Amino acid sequence: MKATVRGCFCLLAVAASIGARAKPIAFQDGWTVMAEYGTNTMRQAQVFYAPRFWWSGGPTYTKLIAGDKSFEHEMPGIQVNYLVKRWNLPDAQGNVFAWGGAGSARGTDGQGSFSGVATAQGGLQADYETRSVYASAKQEWFRSSRFGNGITTVQLGVAPYQHDYDELATWFLVQLRRYQGGVLPGKTEAIPMLRLFKGNFWIEAGADPKGRLQLMVMMNY
Amino acid sequence: MKSLRIALAALCGALALAAHARTVKMEVNGMVCAFCAQGIEKRLRAMAPTQDVYVSLRDKVVAVALKDGEDIPDATLVTSLKEAGYDVTSVQRVDAPLAEIRKAAKRK
Repeated sequence: MKATVRGCFCLLAVAASIGARAKPIAFQDGWTVMAEYGTNTMRQAQVFYAPRFWWSGGPTYTKLIAGDKSFEHEMPGIQVNYLVKRWNLPDAQGNVFAWGGAGSARGTDGQGSFSGVATAQGGLQADYETRSVYASAKQEWFRSSRFGNGITTVQLGVAPYQHDYDELATWFLVQLRRYQGGVLPGKTEAIPMLRLFKGNFWIEAGADPKGRLQLMVMMNY
Repeated sequence: MKSLRIALAALCGALALAAHARTVKMEVNGMVCAFCAQGIEKRLRAMAPTQDVYVSLRDKVVAVALKDGEDIPDATLVTSLKEAGYDVTSVQRVDAPLAEIRKAAKRK
């Protein structure tokens, strides 16, 4: 019993500390431009403007490609992001974000080609970071009459040194990703990555065991 | 009467110090990455009395150098950082120029 309770607390602690990868809201009156190339299964591009520090919105594009090439779903849409909660601690910050949106999907699957399929999209993200450790978890959903896709992404990272504002920040990360909806059934992608950022530019890159590229770039301004 | 005189003297002293303070130094919680600091710097630089801004993640400090004869009230600075998404834990008015604060931080 004790072990179960301890296990639950550990899971809760991990869940609470798991957090943001790139945040969907950078800062008030700021733009965030993100693009991701996820091995051979996922492509994503997002542009958000934040009128206030607690919300942002803009166009998004996500493409999912089944590992066995049995389907491809392209899901352009409009998304609004909301900062649910922020914890500003002396040496750390934690955030919970939520978002939702709508779009129109096109693609191919076992039934043939399709386009103009109304899609709802949403997600949750939580993060905790200090200048030395980083943890994030993100869940994205895409639902339509034609498909139901999901992406779960967890990132855990450590910094070899504590950067300051005007210095290059370096992080070593492990990214774990699972898909719901048949992209990679029953598989968890585990990718070691290097993240660098300085000023308003952020890049993280890695490769899966088969050598396929995982890349994400982001700019804030 | 004596206490009134002391209070007036203290008030004058504080006002004089504030009038001559060239830099406002704030301790801020939640600043852990360069992206955080960017938003803070952008907001503060947009204020007319601001001459320069220095942000140190290491020291958790945001320092604002003021133009000669100009000022930003503490409450405005605290609100501005709150609206940027961060919490100010202390505000200090110092005579040290920004360059000196920057240099001291680099020496650590």
